[in-house]
Amino acid sequence: MSNKTCQPISLLGKWVQENNELVNKWKLQEIGGNTSIPGQNQTCLRGWSSEFNKLLRKIQGVPPLADHTQLELSVLYNACVCAISQSQFTEAELLLLQSTERALQMTGNNTLASDPNVFWREVLKSVGNTALNVCIVHLLCLQWAIWLATCQLNMINDSQMDLSSLFETLGDGLGNNRRSESSEIPLLLMDTRKLVELLQICTLIAQGAERLSEGQSSEALTGLQAALSLAAPRNLIAYIHLLSGSCLAQMGRPQMALQCYRNALETDSQCVCALYQSMLIYRLLGNTQAEIEALRLLHSTLILTSATESALSSVQLLSPSLLLPSQSLSSLLSVPSALSVLHELAMRCVLHGRVSEGVEHYLDLLATLHSEDQHGVKAEVPLLPRLPELYLEAGAALLMSRLPADCMVLCDEVISKTLELLPEKLILEHQEERGESETRDVNDSVAVLLWAGAAYLLQGQCYAHLKDWKQAVTHYTRCINLVVKVCFKKRVTGFQSQISSADMVVKNGTDLCILKKLKGLSLAGRGISFTQTDKLKEALRDLQLSVQTSPECVGAGLWCGEVLWRLGRRQEAAACWEKTWSFNKESSFEVLPLYLQEALSGPLLDTMELRQRVQGLGLT
Amino acid sequence: MQRTTHRLSFLGKIITFDCKRGTVDGERSELIFSSLLFERENNRFVKAADGAVVVSRKRTTHVDIVKCKCAIDVQKRVAAVYVLVKKKNEKGENFHYSLHTLSRSNRLEPCIEFKLPYEMRENVCILQGPTVLWSQAGNVFYTSVQAGEVRLIPIQLSSCVVGQPSFHKGQVFVLGVQNLSEQCQNNQCTSQTLGYFVDGGHVFDGDMILPHPYIFITQCILVISAEEEQGVLKSAVVVATSNQQLVYFENGIIKDICQLPFEGPEDIQMVNTGRNGWLFVIFFQQGHVCAVWKETFQIASHWSGISSVHVDDFLGCGTDQILLAFKDKGVTGPLLDHFFLTDLCGISYSVMHYATEVILTFQQNYLFTLQALESRLQNGLGVLQELQREVRVKERVVQESVQALTDVVSGRETVLSQPEQEGLIALWDCDDGSEGEALDDKMQNMPAESSKPQVDKLWHRITEDQLVVGVILTTDSSSQPLASVSLSILTETGQSSTPAVIQTQSQVFWLPEPCPSSSSSSSSASTFSEPAAKRSKQHNAGRLCDLNTCRLAVTAVTRLTPLLNSGCVKCCVMLHYIRRQDAVSLVSNPTLGTLHCGQVSLDIHNDFQTVLLKNPEHKTDEVKEDLLSLLTLLDHWVFHIDSPDHSLGDIDSWIQKRVGSKRIEVCPQYLLLNSSGPSALMLLHWHQITPFQGELSVHSSQLQMLLFLKSLLAYLPVSCAIQPAKATRRQGEAQLFSLALEKEVVSLRDSVSLLLCEKDEEEEKRKSLEHNETPMLGSVEGLQRCRESWQQDVERSKMKLSPMLNLGRYRSLTQSMSKDQLYGDLATLLEIQRTLLS
Repeated sequence: MSNKTCQPISLLGKWVQENNELVNKWKLQEIGGNTSIPGQNQTCLRGWSSEFNKLLRKIQGVPPLADHTQLELSVLYNACVCAISQSQFTEAELLLLQSTERALQMTGNNTLASDPNVFWREVLKSVGNTALNVCIVHLLCLQWAIWLATCQLNMINDSQMDLSSLFETLGDGLGNNRRSESSEIPLLLMDTRKLVELLQICTLIAQGAERLSEGQSSEALTGLQAALSLAAPRNLIAYIHLLSGSCLAQMGRPQMALQCYRNALETDSQCVCALYQSMLIYRLLGNTQAEIEALRLLHSTLILTSATESALSSVQLLSPSLLLPSQSLSSLLSVPSALSVLHELAMRCVLHGRVSEGVEHYLDLLATLHSEDQHGVKAEVPLLPRLPELYLEAGAALLMSRLPADCMVLCDEVISKTLELLPEKLILEHQEERGESETRDVNDSVAVLLWAGAAYLLQGQCYAHLKDWKQAVTHYTRCINLVVKVCFKKRVTGFQSQISSADMVVKNGTDLCILKKLKGLSLAGRGISFTQTDKLKEALRDLQLSVQTSPECVGAGLWCGEVLWRLGRRQEAAACWEKTWSFNKESSFEVLPLYLQEALSGPLLDTMELRQRVQGLGLT
Repeated sequence: MQRTTHRLSFLGKIITFDCKRGTVDGERSELIFSSLLFERENNRFVKAADGAVVVSRKRTTHVDIVKCKCAIDVQKRVAAVYVLVKKKNEKGENFHYSLHTLSRSNRLEPCIEFKLPYEMRENVCILQGPTVLWSQAGNVFYTSVQAGEVRLIPIQLSSCVVGQPSFHKGQVFVLGVQNLSEQCQNNQCTSQTLGYFVDGGHVFDGDMILPHPYIFITQCILVISAEEEQGVLKSAVVVATSNQQLVYFENGIIKDICQLPFEGPEDIQMVNTGRNGWLFVIFFQQGHVCAVWKETFQIASHWSGISSVHVDDFLGCGTDQILLAFKDKGVTGPLLDHFFLTDLCGISYSVMHYATEVILTFQQNYLFTLQALESRLQNGLGVLQELQREVRVKERVVQESVQALTDVVSGRETVLSQPEQEGLIALWDCDDGSEGEALDDKMQNMPAESSKPQVDKLWHRITEDQLVVGVILTTDSSSQPLASVSLSILTETGQSSTPAVIQTQSQVFWLPEPCPSSSSSSSSASTFSEPAAKRSKQHNAGRLCDLNTCRLAVTAVTRLTPLLNSGCVKCCVMLHYIRRQDAVSLVSNPTLGTLHCGQVSLDIHNDFQTVLLKNPEHKTDEVKEDLLSLLTLLDHWVFHIDSPDHSLGDIDSWIQKRVGSKRIEVCPQYLLLNSSGPSALMLLHWHQITPFQGELSVHSSQLQMLLFLKSLLAYLPVSCAIQPAKATRRQGEAQLFSLALEKEVVSLRDSVSLLLCEKDEEEEKRKSLEHNETPMLGSVEGLQRCRESWQQDVERSKMKLSPMLNLGRYRSLTQSMSKDQLYGDLATLLEIQRTLLS
């Protein structure tokens, strides 16, 4: 008959063995191989979780015994780690609190505090300096992890002092107690020192992100600076640099911010957000060449990372992404999609003089959109303008780089698509509240009209470029015909009246503004074409209307004067020129779309020559 | 006692027992039974037989059924139905118990009768024999046909559990807790589990069936088997505990548990469903029933509102079914008209007014299979998409590289705009080679002076059985640096006049100028100060050799014992050195030099036990000499630690926190670790290159080094790689190679362009002289002149393509070229030797 005194221990011993077997198997699996199929990781984790839960239930099926407490707490730790890794936070927390209470009934303390902070403090006090202290500290680590993962930073802040002092002792104590690796000690699934390091770093990052989003950049910066001396995985260190850069940018030190972003990229080349943020800073500093380069790099990196995102690591317990789900952090780390970046890049190239590259990028963008359509994959690009606008922008770019034939092809495409949707007559209500960045519905007839009008305008400009004045006139006419279909209604209190568009006060970016610009440009274009074919009367009429509609159109003004000059009305011509030159531009050109730039509107007049004429006139 | 209908199943029939007062005169009390048979066609139970027997004839006796059970009659070796009836006279004190059996001819016959002064309440069981067993006040009693009388089990047991193995696989036993009073002092084992075989009559250790803590929480038990095989008890037992768990024990070890949904288990039965395995059916107090699969230990199904559950082969098909009789309000008749008959594997007959939950595990299995297939499909799709993406990326890369290649091949320049060339984000600091060049030039311009190095100090140390001799030199190395320096020790062996050179090992240490050392914490301290200008000068701490004067320490170590052949030994110390003509040239003529440094005298009578580095915090020369001696004595390893995924953290402070570590003030980059043991001194130097890479230089014995590395590995992140490096990386050595190559290219370019430029100058002069006349095309002379000038042009262009050179100049060019190439080859060889072969 076996010795009675070892009866409880043999049961305990068997359970310790079982626990250690599971942990060793896990460690083997971790070292052994990376599973390449994503679903397998989750099922693997679920399997381990159920094993540990079953063991815990076995242990908890027996009334609590003093000997078993350490084993129970260790198995509880393992089971909770599995649960947390599967994002089952509430279950894990509940399990943690209940089991700790149950286990501590052995020490005779029934702590029933409802506030978790108070609960843990009391628990620690009651456990004192016994061997259970270490186990409880491990469990407190898990509670910390749950708080982090559920974004309850206030709880962490409240108990910050206790936590940091506790973990100091943990870090020191662990190093020395590694000797006793007998089979009596139940093993833990995740090394607590590494867990504590991870938690510290993630807490600092989360706190930094919170403070940053609340606007307290300097406090955030000091916190993040402290975090740099800790040991952490590469991507987290990159985040720290990134957040420091954002703090510095908020504090108004863009050059230092750029340095931080560079550090972030040096540390982790996958940190695309750093590239994006530095692009924004270059834009802020007005360094357009650098901005365009950054956009280009960003685009190629995004394309590459989306292609190679198959790097799946092995089943990882408590990965940093699990512990950092906070909203503010993810918003700080957000990067626009590859297509938006490409569009941005194309537009910037065109706007800042690198037209041929802009054209290439536009063509790339259109090609990508087409291929995605073919594959049926729905690309969610909420920040990208609608397809017709992209076509028009690409067309304008093509025209700027002297490829009128291609531009005409694109415009034809737009026109053919919008032909059926054109309304006969449109009444537009002047709404003050209409924002600039509203996405346009396809059924939005105003939008369709504008697109068609712009397409005709571009075609007219193409023909003007090819010096085919008759065709140019035709197309300009079509544009004008479309534009005059729109009537404006102004809501005056009491009665409604229809007022012509010329009397409206224009706000930037509204449909009204675009319409006026369209009208102005098309009239100017037609006038210039008439001038070239010597139909001066019609030219004059058109040019005068154009100047009236959009007085900022310098080309129209100058050509108007030219026509007057040719008609012999020299004084009027000079007056007209003077008026044009003295017109001061309001800074509203930024808001207009790319395809309504004035640079395309036909042959230019030499300002110097005109000034000489005026002077000559003045003298005579 | 509740007036529940006592039912049991036997041989596929349901038998109901009841006690009733006789209808005739109210005096007789009768025990009535009726048996029901299941009719498959009509889906109901029909009466098969019934009968009654008179139990008492007095009016005043109160008759009740205690229990009814099916048990094995050992004598006749058949199973039979038994019912235990108790009679109590109103006036009397005693309880009369009688066990009746239902015979094959459907007649109730008494078999055992006994009398007790108390009413039996706990653990009443009818076991094989037939045996009636019960426990009362810590004692367990039993009676049987063989025994004839009421007997007592010899041991006192509390918290009893009675186990009767099913299918005759074993003997009946009783498990209980026996309190040990004085045997052990420990509070923990005040009790133990004992078991008692009723038939055999011997006691055994109850832990072989049920672990001790479980005996207190067991509420009911089903014994699958309990047999003694070769002296060892093998058992398989299922227990329902008060913690709402169903636990399966095999030989006293927990194999599996299942969490039960209800409390208060009363009875466990086993169902054999044939091919689909076994089920455990647990009946709970409040009328709940739960079925658990034996193989998977998962809950198959559960029901509520059940009055009794029976397991038998009611359909006569060879496997068992579960019969659930529902509680009905108001129906007390023996006929079962509200029941559910199933085996959870396809058979189900029910008559019910309401539907109950039935979870068919097979449906669940189908669901799981579907889910698995679906996830498999999705995985496949995912893999496919990944492959497609990869292909797209590869195509793009190939396209771009083809473009670049075609550009190169067709001679087109790849269009790079100016910003591209400049580079947007400099991910690397531009290393400046110009500094080094300036250095070289400076060195070459100084006049070549050969000056001997100066000896500042000579010292020696003795530890264990080794002698260390050291010399501190100052040398003017601006023009002619010292290249290999070594010490040798000569002894004068008394008789012969020629001194003998002793085997020594020599090392050279470059001593830095005492400057405030910027330790490795500079990386973190200065992150948010102004960034260093891009073209910064090289950090001083890295460059240990100042331009003008160098301080060197040269040490030599040798074994002591060969020296101590006489009382006092005097040794001469000689310094050997080689000077070179310039820093980077390797082929120039070396000059060898020797210098007599001094004498060292050793006396055997002196105390040889000097402890080195007793006080590392002092800043004396003695400490410096001790340090240098230690550096010479101890073995030296350099490790390069690379952690690709995880930053290294603060290793310096970790080392400092270790027990017994002190910083050496004289040379603060070194840490002294003094753990216990004679040869246990360890010098450590940690240099952090980046947050992810560092270099550790260890001077210690091999064992100490290995121990230290082991503890370091435990501290480092998992993905660290430690690699031994031959020596600490010196920038100068790597630069030698690159400087050599640069020099070769530059000299080629310069000399060739110089040569060609001279030609061009001459051509220019000639051209300017000749082109004064504009030839007139009209006349013949003009034409002739035109032709001539055209021919001259042709010849000139031919000459330009293959110019004539001055032979002497060409020769000197080739000579210097070959010298440079030789030098470059040598530098390459050295580099290879340094990195690969060493």
